[in-house]
Amino acid sequence: MRVKGLIFVLVVAALFIGIPFLITDEYIEEKIETRLSIANTALVEIEDFKFSLTDLHVSWSRLQVTDPDNTMMNLFETGEVELDFAFWPVLWEQVIINDLRMTDFALETERETDGYFEIPEGYDPETGVPEDAGFFYSITAEVTSTIAENARMEFTDVKDDINVDSLLATINLQSIDQMDGLKNDLESNYSKWDSTITNNSIEKNARDIEALVTSIKLDEIKDVPTAVKAIETIQKVVKEADSLKNEINTLQTDFRTDIQNSRNSIGQIDNWISADVDRVKNVAKLPEINAQSIGTALFGQNLLADLNTYLEYLATGREYGQKFIGSDEKADKPERYEGRNYEFTDKYDLPKLWIKNIELSGVTKNNIELAGQVLNVTNNQNKTGEPITFELSGAEEGVATLTVDGALNYLGEEKTESLSINYSGFSLVNSKISPSELLPYDLRSGKGDINVDLTIKDRRIESRVDYVADNIAFDFESAGAPKGTVERLIRDAISGTNRITATALIDNTDGPLKARVRSNVDDLFLNALKRTVQAEVDNAKRRIENEVQSRVNAKKAEVTQLVEEQEAILRDKYAELETKVNEQLAIVEKKKKELEDKKKELEEELKNKALDAVKKKIGF
Amino acid sequence: MLIILKYIAKLLKALSSEASPPQLAGGFVLGMIIGLTPFFSFHNLIIAALIIVLKVNIGMAILAFLIFSGIAYLADPAFHNFGTWLLENDNYQSLWISLYDNEWWAMTRFYNTVVIGSFFVALFLTIPVFPSVILFVKQYRKHIHERVQKLKIVKVLKGSKLYSIYKGVNRVRGK
Repeated sequence: MRVKGLIFVLVVAALFIGIPFLITDEYIEEKIETRLSIANTALVEIEDFKFSLTDLHVSWSRLQVTDPDNTMMNLFETGEVELDFAFWPVLWEQVIINDLRMTDFALETERETDGYFEIPEGYDPETGVPEDAGFFYSITAEVTSTIAENARMEFTDVKDDINVDSLLATINLQSIDQMDGLKNDLESNYSKWDSTITNNSIEKNARDIEALVTSIKLDEIKDVPTAVKAIETIQKVVKEADSLKNEINTLQTDFRTDIQNSRNSIGQIDNWISADVDRVKNVAKLPEINAQSIGTALFGQNLLADLNTYLEYLATGREYGQKFIGSDEKADKPERYEGRNYEFTDKYDLPKLWIKNIELSGVTKNNIELAGQVLNVTNNQNKTGEPITFELSGAEEGVATLTVDGALNYLGEEKTESLSINYSGFSLVNSKISPSELLPYDLRSGKGDINVDLTIKDRRIESRVDYVADNIAFDFESAGAPKGTVERLIRDAISGTNRITATALIDNTDGPLKARVRSNVDDLFLNALKRTVQAEVDNAKRRIENEVQSRVNAKKAEVTQLVEEQEAILRDKYAELETKVNEQLAIVEKKKKELEDKKKELEEELKNKALDAVKKKIGF
Repeated sequence: MLIILKYIAKLLKALSSEASPPQLAGGFVLGMIIGLTPFFSFHNLIIAALIIVLKVNIGMAILAFLIFSGIAYLADPAFHNFGTWLLENDNYQSLWISLYDNEWWAMTRFYNTVVIGSFFVALFLTIPVFPSVILFVKQYRKHIHERVQKLKIVKVLKGSKLYSIYKGVNRVRGK
């Protein structure tokens, strides 16, 4: 044995084991901060980072993650965090944490310093939004747009003095042009039929047949062969007459069908006028007064904004999840002679990251102390076989309670996220029940409950927000006298109730995103509003309809008159033609009959003559 | 070319050194194991430590490593097939599973067809190679050494002239 060699091996082994112990916590902290800041594109700060290789323990006293869109705000921050990780998986580049304790977790906190981070040269952070998170952002944008529309909904805008003339001046009534087009088409069609009826060969053919028939003189037919020949001629004429009859029948069918189509096309005029009326009504922004629109106007803004906040959290979660965690997908490597690995058990079939249990505590923006568990945070649920679940609860001054629970389940083919939030018992004193100008009253008393259920399956959203304000009393005196009829009616309607419930439903399960809001006071409002506002709206609608009708009626009458006149003319012409042809055909029929009678007569005569001759011969 | 000459010189030097035939053979078989198996394997760390710690000839180990690395490149498909046969053999399943479930053994990557195939082939080869090398060294020293020493090429390779050329070339290369 080489003693020097043994010493060398021992020294190398000692260095290999010892070097990790020589790396300072500050060095690791700086490296982690830099890596995370590059990925976040804004500063990520860790304070008092401690790493113990012997205990496999990591801790820090504070973590701040700057919001890249507003570097004076943190997306979130944590207080003290402690975690223990498993040793062996680290050798396979897997971080498995059994328990993580996190305190003072808070969302959207203000920063003391600017969190701008200059990306070092040579780094190319992913700045795009991942596809899944992009979908959430598009949904939140749609909901934001719906909220903005609700905020704009003003029933008090509806007035009696809508200037219909100036309104119509800005709108091109399309029905007039459409009727002009129809009139031209009809004129062209009638002209075609006029020419067809006037210049066809039917009448000439009928005259030729008549002439041929007339040329057959019954008086000149003296014997049977001449009669037979005449009959043959007349049979030929009958065939021609039948063909002519068919021709005129076809003409008659085409004529009647075409004329009926022309008449039917007039029916479109009412639809065109109706479309013009709708167009003018849309420009006049006449609202549809129904329970849905009232509920949306009063509570939609609040409820949808709440929902949007939670959707944005999910979007941020997805975006950061994809940025920081990445994926377990291995880069394609050439398999040449690298052999094949046999995985005899699933012992090492672990995800890159798996935090089995997070004990979390923190404070919400409403200063509610919140604590609970987050389980099975991982980058690959198929390997853990468990969805990410969370369950948090807390209370505010011993009165209001908040529970948040949900699951991010990516085990099946469809990614499913569900979130359920219940915030109940919060005080409504000195707050407004709605930001709508229709309810500008502070509350003297009352407690509120909000319950949110949100489920996202693949790209289908189904959500429900229930809001209950109980034992409420409005402070009408401080608001002063109602500023309008609508406000007065609303005040009357709500003064009789001490409980308001509202429900917002948002889903895109069968098409585009739909937002519906209903409340228990909808019908109360509806009855009161319908008495006044609906009458105003109906009146404005009537005036618009009348004005549009008056402008287009002349053109409609013009078209109708054209149809009536031209149709009558053509029908007369056609009847005349038909009569003439029928008369001539009747002559043919008559002649045919006469000829057949003549033939019979000649045959009878011939028979008698023959009989007489025989009798004479035999002396009878 | 210079490297080949250098190692031929080393081989000749080792063969004629004071090292015993088992030391030379030991170095050779250990180098052979490293050469035949994938280089970055946990067991090669142990083999390398053995080469350093045991009184085996390091030159022979390096020479064997170079020779068998080239052979291994061509033989990898055969190692894969043999490894597949081993790992799929029903008689050894419980052994493989228990090795796989032990983290230390798992570090050896014996669950890989090429690693285990080449390792076992290398182990089997030590049985004939080790005594063969001993025999070769003994026969060389007894019958061939004298004649080889008289060859002109050997004189050139072995003498200080080779060393001065070798150093000279390195200086020109700027090393």
